[in-house]
Amino acid sequence: MKNNLLFLFILIFSLNSCIEILDDLTIHADGSGTFRYNINLSSNKIKVNSILSLDSLDGQKVPKIEDIKEKVQQFIKTLDAQNGISNVKIEENYTDFVLKFSCDFTNVLLLQEGIKTTISSMTKEKNTSDINQIWITWDGNKLTRTIPTIAFNKLRKLNQNDVELLKMGSYTCISRFDKAVEKIVNPLAELSKNKLAVMIKTDAYRLKENPDILENVIYLNSTKN
Amino acid sequence: MSFKKQLLFSGFLLSFLSVKAQKSENLIPKDAVTVFSINNINLFQKISLDELISYDFMYEVHQELFDGSTSGSTLKDSGLDFDQKLNVFYGKAKKSEISGFTFGVKDQQKLFTVFDDFDLIDKMSSESTKVYGSFFNNLIIRENSALLIRVEPTMDYISEMTDSIWYARGNESPFDYFEDDFEETSILEEKVFGEEEDINLEETELFPDASENPNVKNYYELRDSVQLVLQQAQLEIILNELLVQNINLPSFDSRFANQLTHNSEGVFYMDNARNIDKANGLWYFQTVLPSLYKDIQELYAGNVILGDIYLKEQVVQFDITAEYGTGLGAIYKEMNDSKFDKNCLKYIPNNSSGYFSYNVNMRKAYEKAYEIIMPILSEEKNAQIAMNVLTIELLNEFINKDALFGTYKGSMFGSFNGFKKIKTKKIEFFYDEETFEYGERVAEAEEDMPIFTYGITIDRTDIPEKILKHFGRLTSKIQNKGKYWVFENAIFDAAPLYMINRNGLFILTNDEDLAVNHADGYGKEKLNRKAGKKAKKSGFMYANINVAETINRFPMDVLNDRQNEIIQTLKGKSGSLELISSKTSVKKTDFKIEYTFQGDDTSGKHLLDLINSIYIVTK
Repeated sequence: MKNNLLFLFILIFSLNSCIEILDDLTIHADGSGTFRYNINLSSNKIKVNSILSLDSLDGQKVPKIEDIKEKVQQFIKTLDAQNGISNVKIEENYTDFVLKFSCDFTNVLLLQEGIKTTISSMTKEKNTSDINQIWITWDGNKLTRTIPTIAFNKLRKLNQNDVELLKMGSYTCISRFDKAVEKIVNPLAELSKNKLAVMIKTDAYRLKENPDILENVIYLNSTKN
Repeated sequence: MSFKKQLLFSGFLLSFLSVKAQKSENLIPKDAVTVFSINNINLFQKISLDELISYDFMYEVHQELFDGSTSGSTLKDSGLDFDQKLNVFYGKAKKSEISGFTFGVKDQQKLFTVFDDFDLIDKMSSESTKVYGSFFNNLIIRENSALLIRVEPTMDYISEMTDSIWYARGNESPFDYFEDDFEETSILEEKVFGEEEDINLEETELFPDASENPNVKNYYELRDSVQLVLQQAQLEIILNELLVQNINLPSFDSRFANQLTHNSEGVFYMDNARNIDKANGLWYFQTVLPSLYKDIQELYAGNVILGDIYLKEQVVQFDITAEYGTGLGAIYKEMNDSKFDKNCLKYIPNNSSGYFSYNVNMRKAYEKAYEIIMPILSEEKNAQIAMNVLTIELLNEFINKDALFGTYKGSMFGSFNGFKKIKTKKIEFFYDEETFEYGERVAEAEEDMPIFTYGITIDRTDIPEKILKHFGRLTSKIQNKGKYWVFENAIFDAAPLYMINRNGLFILTNDEDLAVNHADGYGKEKLNRKAGKKAKKSGFMYANINVAETINRFPMDVLNDRQNEIIQTLKGKSGSLELISSKTSVKKTDFKIEYTFQGDDTSGKHLLDLINSIYIVTK
């Protein structure tokens, strides 16, 4: 039970060849917003199921789905109690292995602090640079963001055999605003037709090769729409 | 590395270094239940020490035996007598567990440069026998042979003795306050506490505080002391029996002594009767139903597994004999008296990577077991056993045994036919270009899945048909497709399971091709005649695995790093593993396992490669 969350991370990143992650941040003019994070393992559900049927994997006890559900509920409860965070929800689909997380926040610093505190309390990783990383800043007109290091640092430890398979996994990062976007720094980013959203999509291989590939600075129009 | 691993790999290590038998086997304690004894001479001649040490498992043993103080040394400097057998043993008795190995000694001075942590124990030594100790390990040297042994009292015995002393001193239960708090804490933990509290609970409350008087031991300190004393006492009992009374395993069990005379590279001995005798699971019978326990013991008397290992050109061969006592032998003989069902062969493809057949007659086994075991149970004067006997006798009368054993006759076969891509469904996200809002849709996906076929012989084909028909009414997932049934998403909620109920067989498979195109067998693509004949000729059991094909067809992405490592070490190897059994008599069944390989490597080299692979997996 203690290591279920840790195992969940291990499970997710041991399946990096097939994982699809969608990281979606909506930020309003006052700094409040909604953060959504979707993890989709459905393209390898046989493999996920076969791992879950094991007693242990790489020295870690493999939890039962019931244990994972319990831990997810604990995560929701802990995060919901954090200052500046509300409306925490996780849609769990253990048939296709799709987890869809969302929460509202009053500002991005409280969002990051809340997530950090929650993960720390559940994994005992209190002082690592991964967990203390600031991955979003917002000044009312400029959004600077990357992705949490903890989401991809396991990729660095993969052996050569797995590296090719990483090309099948994807990470999509979307940022949404109330006002139109004026300028995007990352050349890989795409702007939506309505100019209110920015998306960068990459595969897990590129992310491993260049962890900064999703780093972006987005400037909004200073005039009101 | 743990002591057991050290023993195991020291065993393998030294097994290739002994040449001919002298006396080391006379230092095996009679309580050894499992022994692996090596007489090998060929391997050492063919494989250089430098090559041996280059193996992963050799390297670690090398490090273990030759620590910093012997830096630069090699096995040649160990003082071992390679002309004697090496015997690795293990045994578990009611009061203690023993493990260790015995070997020849050529040069004691050199030996102690390896075993340099051992000190002489004067009070246990004599002129002819020296006893040395290092923590829980002891080294005994008598003439030119040595015994390295670890004796560990069982936890049950330690607890029994500790409790006895603890309560005799007027103490209360050391667990009382812990148990009182624990229930409440557990409830709180489920509702409120996180892991940190769990850890604190374990760290702080599992162990009582030190006693107020530092000169008085608390329960756990007392238990440590008891463990130390019992370990010493058990060691003395074993050594007295071995060295003073000269009772050792070869003198205690003539079957083992006889096995040692075989002209093979190594012999194997496992006394199942004593394994049963000392199995923890039987404590209930031992204490509550002693007469029944005695009957069970009698039933198992004479059960022993004896084996020889032969290293031939391009073949590693294991000859194993399972000997039985009269009672169990009679049951096994009836059980294994079954005709091979040649229909099985139709469903094993000629390119199968591995397959097995198992022919038993459950009805005959049931009837013989009923005849032998029921009188034993009926004699027992115990209410619970009496009720069980009555239930079994009534079931025996009321149940339609023709239907039961006509449905499950007992014989079966299975095959592994590599991996295939199978179609599954996945969820995928799609994006609206206007807003980048996204939705979900179900899309086709492909995943690798191992393809297995498993079948049982059956007379009453109408019974599974009846069951499937009714289940088919309950769920649309089960459908009759004419020659076969399909259960959609039965495997991991993702892949279908096919059921074929034809030709006196009920087959379960995830191989769509078998169900759809070969429901009556593979025809010309079935297992070739020669291979089929071998399976048919074997006794009640046969297995054949093509190592190269199985390994080379394994999809690496289903494995973790460690498993990948083992597969990589086996890749490039070729050969096959074959298990053949004899007919079973009331006394024994013989088994032969052969690992045959192609290429220029010697059989010893292949054996070492296999050992190395096992080591990598287990390290």
